[in-house]
Amino acid sequence: MNKIAIAGCGVVTAAGLGMEALQRAVFSNASALQRRELLIGKTSQSVVAGFVADEITAQLRGADAAHADSRAFLFAAAALREAVKNAATILASVPAARRGFVLSTTKANIEALDKLVRQQPASDLAQRQIQPAFLAADLAAAFDCRGPVQCVSAACISGLSALQQGAVIIRRGLADVVLVAGVDLISQFVLSGFNSLKSLDPEGCRPFDKSRIGLSLGEGAAAIILAKRELVSSPAILLSGAGTSNDANHLTGPSRDGSGLALAIQRALAKAQITPDKIDYVNAHGTGTPYNDAMESLALRSVFGERVPPFSSNKGIFGHTLGMAGVLETALCVAVLQNNLLPGTPRLRERDPAVPDSLLVEPRAVANLNYILKINCGFGGTNAALVLQRELP
Amino acid sequence: MKNLTIHAASYLGPEGFGNGQTGLRAWPSPLAENLSRGELDGLHWSLLSDSDPSRFLRMDLMCRIGFMVTELLAVNFDALPDARRDRLGVCVESFTGSLDTDIRFAQTPRPSIFAYTLPSTVIGEICIRHRLKGPVLSLISPDTKGANALAEAAEWLRAGDAEMVLCLGIEAMNVSTAKSISLPEQLSPRGWHGTALLLGRSENSAREKTSTTVTLVDECRKLCFHRTQR
Repeated sequence: MNKIAIAGCGVVTAAGLGMEALQRAVFSNASALQRRELLIGKTSQSVVAGFVADEITAQLRGADAAHADSRAFLFAAAALREAVKNAATILASVPAARRGFVLSTTKANIEALDKLVRQQPASDLAQRQIQPAFLAADLAAAFDCRGPVQCVSAACISGLSALQQGAVIIRRGLADVVLVAGVDLISQFVLSGFNSLKSLDPEGCRPFDKSRIGLSLGEGAAAIILAKRELVSSPAILLSGAGTSNDANHLTGPSRDGSGLALAIQRALAKAQITPDKIDYVNAHGTGTPYNDAMESLALRSVFGERVPPFSSNKGIFGHTLGMAGVLETALCVAVLQNNLLPGTPRLRERDPAVPDSLLVEPRAVANLNYILKINCGFGGTNAALVLQRELP
Repeated sequence: MKNLTIHAASYLGPEGFGNGQTGLRAWPSPLAENLSRGELDGLHWSLLSDSDPSRFLRMDLMCRIGFMVTELLAVNFDALPDARRDRLGVCVESFTGSLDTDIRFAQTPRPSIFAYTLPSTVIGEICIRHRLKGPVLSLISPDTKGANALAEAAEWLRAGDAEMVLCLGIEAMNVSTAKSISLPEQLSPRGWHGTALLLGRSENSAREKTSTTVTLVDECRKLCFHRTQR
């Protein structure tokens, strides 16, 4: 079976523009969540979330006037530019017809729909990019990907599902490289939804904390370039397994026993052909909602027994970025493998005693990392898991 | 479609509703007139069954159509042992996705419909009803034929990731919803339908389906309409 390697990453998050800014925040355990007064429905409310800085948005708008009112396109294109730059040598050897593209998003350029409903002006492009498939097509065209183009919209597992699809496209021989991009925005639409479900922590999320009460939203974009193994120099970081499942339990809440997520993890481990004891670190979904974090703890114990590997949630840094979360957090895991440095869990005050005690509070340097497990869960009872492997030199 | 077995096929669209075994039945009037104009709110569970699952009433259009077309397959999922349901995947592909619900939510935000502003929610509803825990995939595509869903389902079966796959193509948007905000032409509804195939790997070469059809919608229409014409 063809092996799939990671050739480059790029991100735009609340922590800043680029992987370096993200790594600075992650490895210093710093939160980039901010408080803003925002209109939700007709009421002004105080919201703590991972907003992309206005200066970054202004800079991106200045460089691309045609997409000035499509933040979804601007963010995704910025993340893709960084990833493409990091993989420039590889991409130069692959013709456009052998480059695939996969987008992951829940709501694409949803801001334009908010504007249409309020009878405010929105450009034709911004309106077109409400449609996730059109946003995918426009980004694929902008980055000269003339191979297969797909768009995954599967709630908060969209990102991991998109990476899995990218790998499948290469394994099926339909492309030699696939650009995978994830994007989602903090919008009136999304804020109204999570606010109405009372899922937001008004003071900012505290994943795995004893007193956690909800999540913080985040926004931005992330991009990962997947390539046939033989195109990437050694030692490469491989996407060695992925799996999904459904809880078959509840639409907006996770299963209480974690069995659905455990199933997805077991499928990813089986694909990677490894046993659970090989996993050196788990990057958790860790939203900060009471039920999610409790469910994840159960799932981890179910798979790993009492020897749960070190794990952490990084949503205290950039918030829950929904459809891009899987791509962003996988890009972060690539940096973890490259630096032999495990991230902590920012904003944690006191670990919930029900959470395994291998939870990382602060970043920790380690001698050797080989395998990382990345997990996400979402509305509709969806679960996804992905295994990253660093080849031995 | 080579090396695949089609266990069941169903269709629900302007022409009627039914499956590959029974063929299509026409919609009753005056619902038929509304459906032909792209007004879909009259689609109701009671058209298929006397039972009335309470969940149906809270669902959005996409979920209602997905739920109904899965029921039309006439497959008794309950009879499958848990181990087989754990290996039954669900793959859905759509162009309009949840846009009808998105517009309604943007106009009047209500917590009860927020979960339906995701095109993958239909997978959750079907998995809950039939207790399916296999792999899942939700694709949004510029065409409405479901070609990717069929290819991905075949790939799961080929790779051994699933034993069976419920493959769904759903287009579900009211024309009046699109008109309520002057939605741009390119985002407007392009017809509506629900199509479903339950696919498995062929264990017996005599049962293999070799077809030139490469889209989910064409395959469903061929199977369901063929029976009706006979």
